Amino acid sequence: MTKLILNRRKFLSTTAAAGATLASPAYLRRAHAQQGGEVNIWTYNDFVPEAFKEQFQDETGIKVNVRLVDDQGKQFSLLAAEAPNPTVDIMTVAGHRFLQFIDSDLLAPLDLDRLTSWGNINPTFSESDWSTINGEKWGAPILSGMEVLAYNSDVVTAEEAQTWDTLFSDQYAGQNAYIIQDMMSIVMLMMGYDGNMVAYLDDPEKAAQIVEEAKNFLIENKPKVRKFYDGGAEFQQMMVNQDIVLGHSWNGPAAALINDGFPLGMTIPQEGSYGFVYTYNIAKNCPNPDNAYTFLNAILGSPEIGAAMTKASGFISTYKDSSQYLTDLEKKSTSFPDEQLANLQFFRSEANEMKYGLVDPAVEAIKAA
Amino acid sequence: MSYDASARAARGTVPASDATFWGRLAGWGPYRAMASFTTASPRRQFIVLAVFPILWVLTQHLGPMVQMLRVSLTDAYPVAPGVEQHLTIEHYLKFFQDPLFWQPFFRTLIFAGVFTFCTLILTYPVAYFLARHVSPKNRMLLLLLLLIPFWVGEIVRTYAIMILLGNTGAVNLVLKWFGLIDRPIPFMYTSFSMGVGIVYLTALYMLLPLYSALEKLPKSLNEAAADLGAGAWTRFRRVTLPLTIEGISSGCTLVFLISTGFYATPVLLGGPSTTVFAETIAGFFHVAGTQWPTGAAFAIIMFLAALCITAAFQRLMTMLRKGDKT
Amino acid sequence: MNRRNRILLSCVYWAFVAYVFVPLILMVLMGFKDSKFIGFPIRSYTLDWYMGVFEDAETISAFLYSVAIAVLSTIGSIIVGTWIAVLLEGRKFWGRAVIFGMTILPALIPGIISAIAFRIYARYLGIEPGMGAIVWAHAVHNVPFVVLVVMARLSTLPKSQIEAARDLGADPLIAFLRITFPYLVPAIMGASIFCLLLSFDDFVRSFFLGGYEPTLPVLIFAKLKSGMSPEINAIATAALLLTAVIGVWAERFTRRMNKDS
Repeated sequence: MTKLILNRRKFLSTTAAAGATLASPAYLRRAHAQQGGEVNIWTYNDFVPEAFKEQFQDETGIKVNVRLVDDQGKQFSLLAAEAPNPTVDIMTVAGHRFLQFIDSDLLAPLDLDRLTSWGNINPTFSESDWSTINGEKWGAPILSGMEVLAYNSDVVTAEEAQTWDTLFSDQYAGQNAYIIQDMMSIVMLMMGYDGNMVAYLDDPEKAAQIVEEAKNFLIENKPKVRKFYDGGAEFQQMMVNQDIVLGHSWNGPAAALINDGFPLGMTIPQEGSYGFVYTYNIAKNCPNPDNAYTFLNAILGSPEIGAAMTKASGFISTYKDSSQYLTDLEKKSTSFPDEQLANLQFFRSEANEMKYGLVDPAVEAIKAA
Repeated sequence: MSYDASARAARGTVPASDATFWGRLAGWGPYRAMASFTTASPRRQFIVLAVFPILWVLTQHLGPMVQMLRVSLTDAYPVAPGVEQHLTIEHYLKFFQDPLFWQPFFRTLIFAGVFTFCTLILTYPVAYFLARHVSPKNRMLLLLLLLIPFWVGEIVRTYAIMILLGNTGAVNLVLKWFGLIDRPIPFMYTSFSMGVGIVYLTALYMLLPLYSALEKLPKSLNEAAADLGAGAWTRFRRVTLPLTIEGISSGCTLVFLISTGFYATPVLLGGPSTTVFAETIAGFFHVAGTQWPTGAAFAIIMFLAALCITAAFQRLMTMLRKGDKT
Repeated sequence: MNRRNRILLSCVYWAFVAYVFVPLILMVLMGFKDSKFIGFPIRSYTLDWYMGVFEDAETISAFLYSVAIAVLSTIGSIIVGTWIAVLLEGRKFWGRAVIFGMTILPALIPGIISAIAFRIYARYLGIEPGMGAIVWAHAVHNVPFVVLVVMARLSTLPKSQIEAARDLGADPLIAFLRITFPYLVPAIMGASIFCLLLSFDDFVRSFFLGGYEPTLPVLIFAKLKSGMSPEINAIATAALLLTAVIGVWAERFTRRMNKDS
């Protein structure tokens, strides 16, 4: 993990870079040999920048069909319902949910020989521990998000926001919110355990005991929580309506509030936090594999495309050198001080089956308590 | 289209109607052949009428449910290739063995009942006003006026309620402006805000059946009762209410069924202690994407429970109606 | 009728109108907010969000797509639902209760479950995801509502009317078309409004059964992922205005038809 953080730091502080331009790079000219056709993509709003899409269609003759999704679980259900002959070529899976898709045999491993733009991805993401499963690469990282403590800076001080304890303090009782599933991992981390539970793969008893402890902590603190929420838009609305003054959030929605001028601060507290990566994946038995690779090579082709995705989504780009295309406010809302980044870990999926087997009932129990 | 007018027209023209469209149709050879073939005996007539609906409900209504029943009885779905599927009832047992699920289950049924009742209380006077006190000319307009907001998607409407009830929401702003409060009242994320959102969604489904029941109530009945010296309350209780039980019953059935299935509104407007069963079921489908059979089994349990309650309610209403007639 | 009661009732009516309209007014208002998020206080106003709606081809085509789906699925539901209601109402036959139970089945299933069941079943039947599949799912899902509303109206149809027509020599189909159907028109209108609403507002079935073209709710859901912006309010308002215009026109049109006939 240390190596990873070092890379990450280097990546985040990179400003000046050699000029990579969007103007018709080599991948597009080569792709001209293709005879058009189409490529079907399931992704979030703004993850395929409109300008890029048009240019790609013009230059390759491949029609890009984007189907917007808004939730990983729904995407999984949809793909599972379509298997084994999906209509989709490329989906957008969160890195820590790979395993679920792979186990259900829904993804095709990436053929890196065909993916000539792979080198444009920051190795922090493309080569990190979660990205290789069963010896294969399953997805091309595009954006990265992390869980942060976000606070209304008119009410909560930056010092108070240095620890997750503030979220559970009496002072802000009834003015806080979090996503329970995500909070379970963080509470484990707060208690000094491995929230990914990879360390307890061989010791299910210990794992169960840890989940029990985290569950009891959240039940104990339930009277103080205003809302268990699910989506970033809900979090933003609670902040704007001042129903809450602090909460756990993904950095993307928080960054969007900051960029809109809302007095919001965010930190990765000292106890640590988790990050994840959105990746483009190729569906198993997809109808247009050749076009899918052409598309992936194109969209990974230039850091400017990565920056455009960051501007739209608030998540951090995984492209090398993309931050040079961001404004100062955008840079601020998508970067963290080094000492905070040192506390960050990535979600891992190896222990997911055991972890969610324990966490899901715990979440139900917390809701029912 | 006015019913009276067309019924009158029908009565007047059926016998000697060779000049009208209907007469021509009735006299048209192929139609006559078809009509006499299909209506030769009551039995044949019934079969012609029944075949299509029965086929439809079997293939279109039952089909998806049978698929789901099948999923709920398997040990794994979606199946990974090479894995063999087994039949099991473990997913049903899971519900009965774990008290954890009972709370959201009963909460959903109770909430649905309470919200149905609130909707009825709220919309009955509205429907009554529209049907009895508004001239027929304006009636449609006023009714349409009430329908407009329902055309806005559920999510947008729900966020609008957040803007209404939030700490810096419209209600708190107004209260503050009048100096009635110093600190905002936290309306949001309680069963109150959830009720406001759900009744908003269900009001229409109650309003329309009530309205159509009240509309066809003859005014003369009330007048006759008044002539006999019955007071307003007695008139309502003895005349209006019994005659609109049909509307109340179908409105309540609709609203109850719809509110047991609500997902987005309770999730968005509810608080930490208002989890509904639909949320639990949906959890098996997306938070843990590999537990479809459990979700399907729970959905079937919910479905059977809602069915029982609706049936009991319908029976009660029939009894009430019969009781009043005797 | 007592004057005091009348005033009281009209107060209740207008209070209800306020309850129903205030959120709506807030929604329209927020579309003018110069920010990426809705909510008070509003510091400055802009027309950009509303202008944007009419320039955004994606939104316009999603709106038209939703309208087409709503109309087609409603026609299907009305035909099937009325037919079933006529079969079930006032007839006693073996298995009637079972058929009634199966008829209201689709209304009882929570949205997400029914959507997945439809999706699995569509694959089983070989229906491709897309407009046809959505229309099919909406039509099936809305049938129970039509049946309930039409049955309620049918139960009050004076039997003597039909008998009179039959005595005068009309066969059952003509008796249905000339007596029963006109009597059912208000219920069918009401049921159509139900169906149009349910279809136009449906997210979850459209999401699971849709292809690459989003319906309006699907588009709004996807946009919501990056925040509840005034843009969404502007889209919803514009959709509302357009459907209201269509609705008023349809009402006028049917009224004129009635006068003519």
